[in-house]
Amino acid sequence: MPFTTKDLRAYRRDEQFGHKLMTPEERIKLLKPYLPAPPRSAAQRAELKKREKRSRLGVRRFLKSQWHALVYVIIHAFFSLYIRMRQAYHAVVNRIYSIYHHHHRTPELIQQDVKTLGRLPKHLSVILTLEDHGRRGAGLERLVNEAAEIAAWCASAGIPQVSIYEKSGILKGYLPETHQAVAQKLSAYFGDSFPSLSVAAPHGPPVESRPSSRGSRGDSQEQKRLSILLLSAEDGRDSVVDLTKTLTEMAQRSKLFPADISTELVDAELSESIMGEPDLLLLFGPHVELSGYPPWQIRLTEIFHVQDNQGVDYQVFYRGLCKFARAQMRMGR
Amino acid sequence: MSDLYLSRARNWFMHSPPAEWALSRLRETLIGALRQGPIPQHVAFVMDGNRRYARSHKIETIEGHHLGFEALARVLEVCYKCGVKAVTVYAFSIENFNRPKYEVDGIMQLAKVKLEQLIQHGELLERYGASVRVLGQRDLISPDVLDVVDRAVATTAHNKECILNICFPYTSREEITTAIRTTVEDYSTTPRPHNNTFSQSRITQKLMSKQGGLSTDGLASIRESSPAPPQSRTDDLDDSVSSSSTLPPDSPPSKSENGGNVTIYPNAETITDETITSHLYTAGCPPLDLFVRTSGVERLSDFMLWQCHQDTQIFFLDCMWPEFDLWHFLPVLVEWQRRQSKLEREERPRRRVKQA
Repeated sequence: MPFTTKDLRAYRRDEQFGHKLMTPEERIKLLKPYLPAPPRSAAQRAELKKREKRSRLGVRRFLKSQWHALVYVIIHAFFSLYIRMRQAYHAVVNRIYSIYHHHHRTPELIQQDVKTLGRLPKHLSVILTLEDHGRRGAGLERLVNEAAEIAAWCASAGIPQVSIYEKSGILKGYLPETHQAVAQKLSAYFGDSFPSLSVAAPHGPPVESRPSSRGSRGDSQEQKRLSILLLSAEDGRDSVVDLTKTLTEMAQRSKLFPADISTELVDAELSESIMGEPDLLLLFGPHVELSGYPPWQIRLTEIFHVQDNQGVDYQVFYRGLCKFARAQMRMGR
Repeated sequence: MSDLYLSRARNWFMHSPPAEWALSRLRETLIGALRQGPIPQHVAFVMDGNRRYARSHKIETIEGHHLGFEALARVLEVCYKCGVKAVTVYAFSIENFNRPKYEVDGIMQLAKVKLEQLIQHGELLERYGASVRVLGQRDLISPDVLDVVDRAVATTAHNKECILNICFPYTSREEITTAIRTTVEDYSTTPRPHNNTFSQSRITQKLMSKQGGLSTDGLASIRESSPAPPQSRTDDLDDSVSSSSTLPPDSPPSKSENGGNVTIYPNAETITDETITSHLYTAGCPPLDLFVRTSGVERLSDFMLWQCHQDTQIFFLDCMWPEFDLWHFLPVLVEWQRRQSKLEREERPRRRVKQA
């Protein structure tokens, strides 16, 4: 129950004078009507229950709970309707966006889009989901294709580092194939002179490729690099657990004092072995859920999602970059 | 001009006793209705936007924080009446010490005064059965505030119904680091209690006495009081002897003998993410179900990183924290309930497939 205006005014006046106007007793009196009934001991409660059962068979309570159940159903019915309408509205809006901003597989168009933005993320991260309905191959192929598309957009926009998170880590098993798919996609976008590419997973050697030799004489494209990092759930909590194990063993062999463990040490180790903090995290799902994304690194990352969006789409990428350019970092100030 | 009159008239009407009574009835009904569905067990709030609210309403910054406190009281009431078991609020970040000094002092003063009142009205939280905990780096709190904090925590510690976690100088990275550090300390400085160690001489003595058929009273009593049967005891002995050289991963205690003085450390390989979770400040709270941040900023800002990065539903709302009320929280809760029941529907057939 909210305060009535009269009581709120009395409370604020008292607060203004540093709580010296009212005595504690007066304050209690002010609050009393708003408090729930005092808790009863278990014995008292049982006794009360018994008496109520005998006298009125709990009719009042039964009616009350029925009334609440009814209101619950009504709320959810209306909310359901609202959600449907919102989803329909967003579907239309997102469609219009994606028609208006389409990349047409042309890096120049993407560059045109991002040229007006004040700043770009240096490290972009995305969460992809493996949608496999029993068929292993189809979901994987889709995933690789999405990863390649995103890589191509980033290369066009001039974002040097992308990390792609997928919970199960299936992509990590297909590192060379992913590299090949991305390289193909890049050549489809850029033609002959595409940027040099490295695809890696934490704790593993990267698969690298030189920029294509043909037609890259003194070209500005040649200087470009794109590095892709594939992440999975084991780079999240498990990496912190592994670090703890290592530190514990060191402490057990008296190589380290527990007091030496500082945020800087943990940060240095985790950014060394997994990755640094991404600037922007794009979610392509309909709502915000991190599904096991590395917790340490996500501290100040701008999280972007488009409400009720389904699937990887260029408009999400573009709108995410716009949002990032507008956002201001205050670092607690 | 007419606009002004209209808003005045509306204000007057909304604050008239009958309207207020009707509103409070409506609130009660809505809360009662929400209780019919699933309710999140642990909710976290980032109370962001107090200063922007103050700026846009042309009032002092510290006034904004006071209004933020009122919003917190409202929201806590809604949460506990709905049946939420634990609420965690981000009151003050370690990074906030970078703010102007008068503002930091103002917030500290606010916290001190409010907690002092809480101590004075001990029965207030007793009605809700709520206990207060203050999470964060205690050594950054000034001694006079720390004293009040400790007293407030102590006076409410016996309440068991629900928990209010106030994160006060807190960052999640600091929390995780502390959890790692205490885990390492646990595993490296406190050897296992000595009743777990087996003295080889005692066992050989016992074996000998068994073979000899001499069961004196003293030995029999030892055998009765020790819980493990004799065979497993010798197994353990074998294990620990071999572990000194090879250290198999499945034997929990590892021994290193330094000149007869036995120090036993628990095996580091037994550390799991639950070990770290249980060393966090939020140990003992149910898993985080709902994360709400106001003021339209879409960042976690170093809050509950470990707790919310798995299947927590995260909501970023556009309203400022002092405006936050049941009317903003209701859609969030209803959407959470909707997703929860959807998840349950999806889980059920899958489980049936697994069983078949």
